[in-house]
Amino acid sequence: MDEEEQNKLIDLVKELVHRLLSQSPQSQQNPQNPNFENSFRYALRILSSRLTPSIAPDAAAIAESVKRRLATHGKSSDALSFADLFAKFSSKTGPGSVNNKWAVIYLLKIISEDRKSAKNVVNSSTLLPNLGVHELESKNDSRVLNGKEDKQLGWRKNGVLLVNKDPENLRDVAFREFVNLLKEENEVSEEVLVRDVLYCCQGIDGKYVKFNTMVDGYCLSDLVKVPRATRVMVRKLCELGWLFRKVRGYISESMDRFPAEDVGTVGQAFCAALQDELLEYYKLLAVLEAQAMNPIPLVSESAGSGNYLSLRRLSVWFAEPMVKMRLMAVLVDKCRVLRGGAMAGAIHLHAQHGDLLVHEFMKRLLRRVCSPLFEMVRSWVLEGELEDIFAEFFVVGHPVKAESLWREGYRLHSGMLPSFISQSLAQRILRTGKSINFLRVCCDDRGWADAATEAATAAGTSTRRGSLGYGETDALETLVIEAAKRIDKHLLDVIYKRYKFREHCLAIKRYLLLGQGDFVQYLMDIVGPELSEPANTISSFKLAGLLESAIRSSNAQYDDPDILDRLRVKLMPHGTGDRGWDVFSLEYDARVPLDTLFTESVMARYLKIFNFLWKLRRVEHALIGAWKAMKPNCITSNSFTKLQHAVKLQLLSTLRRCQVLWDEMNHFVTNLQYYIMFEVLEVSWSNFSNEMEAAKDLDDLLAAHEKYLHSIFEKSLLGERSQSLFKSLFVLFDLILRFRSHADRLYEGIRELQARTMESSLSSRDKKKSSRQTNDMHTKPGSWLSDGRKALTQRAGEFLRNMEQELDATANEYTSLLEVFLAQLPVQQHVDLKFLLFRLDFTEFYTRLRPSV
Amino acid sequence: MDPEAARTARESLDLAFHMSNILDTGLDRHTLSVLIALCDLGVNPEALAAVVKELQREPSPSPPMSTAPSSIP
Repeated sequence: MDEEEQNKLIDLVKELVHRLLSQSPQSQQNPQNPNFENSFRYALRILSSRLTPSIAPDAAAIAESVKRRLATHGKSSDALSFADLFAKFSSKTGPGSVNNKWAVIYLLKIISEDRKSAKNVVNSSTLLPNLGVHELESKNDSRVLNGKEDKQLGWRKNGVLLVNKDPENLRDVAFREFVNLLKEENEVSEEVLVRDVLYCCQGIDGKYVKFNTMVDGYCLSDLVKVPRATRVMVRKLCELGWLFRKVRGYISESMDRFPAEDVGTVGQAFCAALQDELLEYYKLLAVLEAQAMNPIPLVSESAGSGNYLSLRRLSVWFAEPMVKMRLMAVLVDKCRVLRGGAMAGAIHLHAQHGDLLVHEFMKRLLRRVCSPLFEMVRSWVLEGELEDIFAEFFVVGHPVKAESLWREGYRLHSGMLPSFISQSLAQRILRTGKSINFLRVCCDDRGWADAATEAATAAGTSTRRGSLGYGETDALETLVIEAAKRIDKHLLDVIYKRYKFREHCLAIKRYLLLGQGDFVQYLMDIVGPELSEPANTISSFKLAGLLESAIRSSNAQYDDPDILDRLRVKLMPHGTGDRGWDVFSLEYDARVPLDTLFTESVMARYLKIFNFLWKLRRVEHALIGAWKAMKPNCITSNSFTKLQHAVKLQLLSTLRRCQVLWDEMNHFVTNLQYYIMFEVLEVSWSNFSNEMEAAKDLDDLLAAHEKYLHSIFEKSLLGERSQSLFKSLFVLFDLILRFRSHADRLYEGIRELQARTMESSLSSRDKKKSSRQTNDMHTKPGSWLSDGRKALTQRAGEFLRNMEQELDATANEYTSLLEVFLAQLPVQQHVDLKFLLFRLDFTEFYTRLRPSV
Repeated sequence: MDPEAARTARESLDLAFHMSNILDTGLDRHTLSVLIALCDLGVNPEALAAVVKELQREPSPSPPMSTAPSSIP
């Protein structure tokens, strides 16, 4: 205190002492009372001995305790008026008012307490002490003097007896003890802890809160003395720090691995998105740190308070970042081992969440993560480009030759297919890109670029990068559908118009499937004798020349030269003992791009069908040849009028036998041929034509063609289920061929016989004929010229008997085989084979022959 | 002191006097004003209360309390 104040103080004290002494009844009007000096010095001594108050300077608290005291002693109205007065008193500010209000109130309190305790000491001997009830309402000065009397009356008036508990002092004492205890327990103040927690949430160890690897978390070290509640709270808040560490660790790991090409574009996008979110988080932490230093302004000025940020306030602020960080940590865990489309799919699964905050967050994240994927889809669908260094796209390309580009060049990798793109959409995407590549590589076509831009404008997006994002799966679908539609149409146009697919198919049908009848006939005629030779003596050049001449002599010559160009003779690899018939086949050369459709395996199947049909034709041809040989019957029968009757009969029966057998075989072969030609080939072809019209894209076309071939296979007994039937059919064919040779021999023999008879009854009128027949005769050494007629008859009889036996044998075998064949027919799966049976057994002749069935 | 301040001071004193009456401190207005002034100067209220108690109590100054009975300034 300075000089002036000191003087003032002394004056005031003097005044006080004077007043107090004058108050007391003993000392009277003598200011120079020697007591005065003593009292004055005494007062000064007391004042200087206690310079600091023992309780906190909180006026409100003191007033509260006074009020409580008044209320508990039954003076509730006093308490209310006191409260009122105190409110008015403390609201007085500015010059002229009391500055140390608390001091004043405290003073009054203590003085009143002292008076009461003094009174109680006085009264204790006689009565139970009570704290006196005083009903003071008015502001009379004289009250103070009257107060004593009133007091003495007071307790008598009220009759309320209260025990002297002196609670305020106890309460004060308790508070004081508590404050001391807190000071002891809390070695570290809350400010420091808050700052440490903020550091931890950025991954930095604070002064007291460090990362504990054993516990795997941030916590206060046990050496620091803080109450348990604080410890637990710090631990909870530092969970955010742990999550942050995890996320940041993942990001830095990925960034490190990136040059090693382990982390793909999707992974990078994910890291970038996470980093953006962490930036937001850093911003929040910076704001909180700035706030941590500021004290909050309070209403009552005399009380101090801590800083704005306490641990509890921190926990409120951290609620939202905790949710987000937890999400990020979960995603990081999930995606540690995934890449590409699989990663996008896994993140997408987490986005199916009802909480709006989470949903927004995931949507933002996914938009970034899926942008490389969508970009890849866009460039694949509109340009056919696969820019996929890290193998993250669900379309995988293999380097293959041009003809297998369509079937095997590109495939779907379902592991990388994100879950928000459906299978059908993925198929369409694959096909569109494949078509573009196919057009570009195999067809040398540039028109698809227009189609692509058209598609993009139709779908409402542009062909530039980055125009699609996650959440716009619909837009993607529209784009893909539009692009697919246009490009497929373009592709089919190219295939049909430029490469004349339909014409080629038709050509294959006509030549390989023996549709062009006259050509086949000529071919068979010409090539037949050649093919009877053993296989290793046949030269393909000769056959090619024969093929040419066959073409030229039939209607085929008017066909497109390009098509005729592709038709060739092929000699299959032969073993020993093979005849030409077994190795001969025709081949059609389908070049790029049609060999996508007519692959090796497809052509092999065509070959099989060709072989079968060719054999069938050969048998038919043989039978026709036999017919030709059998024709001159009348001549045969007429010329034997001179023979013996027995021989004639034998001859006739043999001939008839032969005829009947021929008829049967012919019936069989013709019907089989008819069935194959009309019910199998033509029907399948018309189905295929319809499907070709309706096909939307190359996949459809390929499927239709497959179906076409498959149906031909099944119906013409070439399928696996008809193997046994097929074998028996071939045995039948062999038999028929043998019959042909028998028939040939028979007729040859008959003619020879005829010649001999002619010869033996030689007349010059048959010179013409005989000149022909002498040729026959000359070809036979050891002639019978010298024999007589008897020998002739004998010979004839023998010959005829042999023939008859052979024919019988053949006939029996044929019948049995046919029975077997026909028995197997009804049990076949394919419904059309029943039609075959129907044809063959039209009159139910055979079913009647088989009584057992 | 300007009239405003004077009025404030007077009103404050009035309120304090009322409160002291409610609390039955036995102080008159003048003494109270002196005490308030002393408190404003920063004196410990506990000490002041002790002074008041002592001086109000003594009907006669007790010999051990006073130091030199013959000390006269």
